[in-house]
Amino acid sequence: MKLTIRNLINRILVVALIMAPFQSGQASMISIDQVSTTLSAQADRNTVVNLLSRAETINEFQSVGLDAKSTIDRVAAMTDEEVRTLAGKINAVPVGGDGLIALILVVFFIWYFAFRR
Amino acid sequence: MGLRNAWPAGVANQVELVGVPFFPQQDYQCGPAALATTLVYSGAKITPENLVGQVYLPARQGSLQVDMQAAPRRYGMVSYRLAPRFDDLLREVAAGNPVIVLQNNGIWPIVKWHYAVVAGFDYPAGELLLRSGESQRLAVPFTIFEYTWKKSDYWAMVTLPPDRIPATATESSYLAAIVAMARVADINAVTLAYTTFLKRWPDNLTASIALANHYYERGALKEAEAVLRQAAVHHPDSVVVLNNLAQTVSDQEKQDEALALIDRALRMEGPFAAVARETRVMILQRMAKSR
Repeated sequence: MKLTIRNLINRILVVALIMAPFQSGQASMISIDQVSTTLSAQADRNTVVNLLSRAETINEFQSVGLDAKSTIDRVAAMTDEEVRTLAGKINAVPVGGDGLIALILVVFFIWYFAFRR
Repeated sequence: MGLRNAWPAGVANQVELVGVPFFPQQDYQCGPAALATTLVYSGAKITPENLVGQVYLPARQGSLQVDMQAAPRRYGMVSYRLAPRFDDLLREVAAGNPVIVLQNNGIWPIVKWHYAVVAGFDYPAGELLLRSGESQRLAVPFTIFEYTWKKSDYWAMVTLPPDRIPATATESSYLAAIVAMARVADINAVTLAYTTFLKRWPDNLTASIALANHYYERGALKEAEAVLRQAAVHHPDSVVVLNNLAQTVSDQEKQDEALALIDRALRMEGPFAAVARETRVMILQRMAKSR
C-alpha cells in the first residue's frame, strides 16, 4: 500500500480529464449515455468503477514505460468494457509480437506426427 | 475441424483479396503492420510507423488486443470484433473484408502470440491466405490455422470505413462498435456510421437518438429534426425522442408544436419525466419572451 501523494494527484488529474467530456451542459437533449444508464445508484457505482478502472489502466501503461499523452489517448479510445479487461492485467493478457518461425515449427510437427509415424 | 465436409453455405470456394496491401513487420511489430494492412485497405492514409505509438507496447514487445480494437476508431474506422467462428471469418473475407486474427504460433510450453491478416482462402487446396510477418502470401492449411487460432479463443476483427457494415454484423454488437468509435472519431465519420446503420436497421431507437444528437451538437437542427421525426413514427411512446424533438423544434422557433410534443412526452411516466418537465418550462419561457 505505497500510494505516494504524487500518485494520488496523478489519479485525481486523470479522473478529472476523463470526466471532462461528460460535463458539457447541452440544452435538455437527452443523450444515449443517459438512456443506457438510467439514473440509479447502480449506474452511479458503475460510473465510479469505470473511472477508477481507467485511472488504474492509465497508471499501468505508464508503469510499463508509456508516456502520459500516449497513454491517455489510448485509454480514451477504449470502451469501459475494454478497459475492465485490462485493469490490473496488462502484464498477463496476450500481446501479439512475432512468431513466424514457430509457425514453421508447428507445420513441421504436425506433418511429422501426422504422416511420419 | 470439419471445414472439409461442412463448408458454409453461400461462401465461394476461392477468394483472394489481391488489393490488400502488405507491410512486412519490423522486429516484434506485427500489431502495427496488421492494423495498417486493414486500415489502408479501408482507405486510411497511414503507415505502420504511425500506429506504433498507439498499439505497440515496448515493455512487452507486442500489441494488446484492446489497443488493436481501439486505435482504428481514431481514424474514423469502425473496428468490429467477429463472433468466434470459422464461418464468420470466411464470410467476412468473402465479402471483401480482410480479417485480423490473433494466433498463438508456439507449441507448448512456448507461447508466440502473433497478429496476421486473412486475405483469402482456397477451399480445394484447403488453405487460408495470410499477410503475415514477412510473408506477403502465406498459405496455411486449415487444420494448422485452426490449431494456432483456437488458443486466442478465435479472436478476430475487421476495421471498416463508416459507410460499410461487416457481413456478419449483428444489430446490437455493431451498434456497440459505433458507440465505441464515437468516443474519439471525427464527427463526420460518426454521423456517417449511424446513418449507414439506420439504413440497415431503421427502427433502432438508440442509433436514432445518437444520430440526432450528433446533428444537434453541430447545429444541424433540420437534420436532427428529420431523424427524430422518423424515430417518433417507429417509437411514438419514447419520452426521449419526444423530448429531444420538442427541444429541436423549439430551437427553430416553432414553440406551439414544441409544446404539443412535450405535453405528449409528459403523458408518459419514466426516468426522464423530470427532464421533460424542464424542457416544458423552457418552451413556456420562450413563448412568453416572443410575445
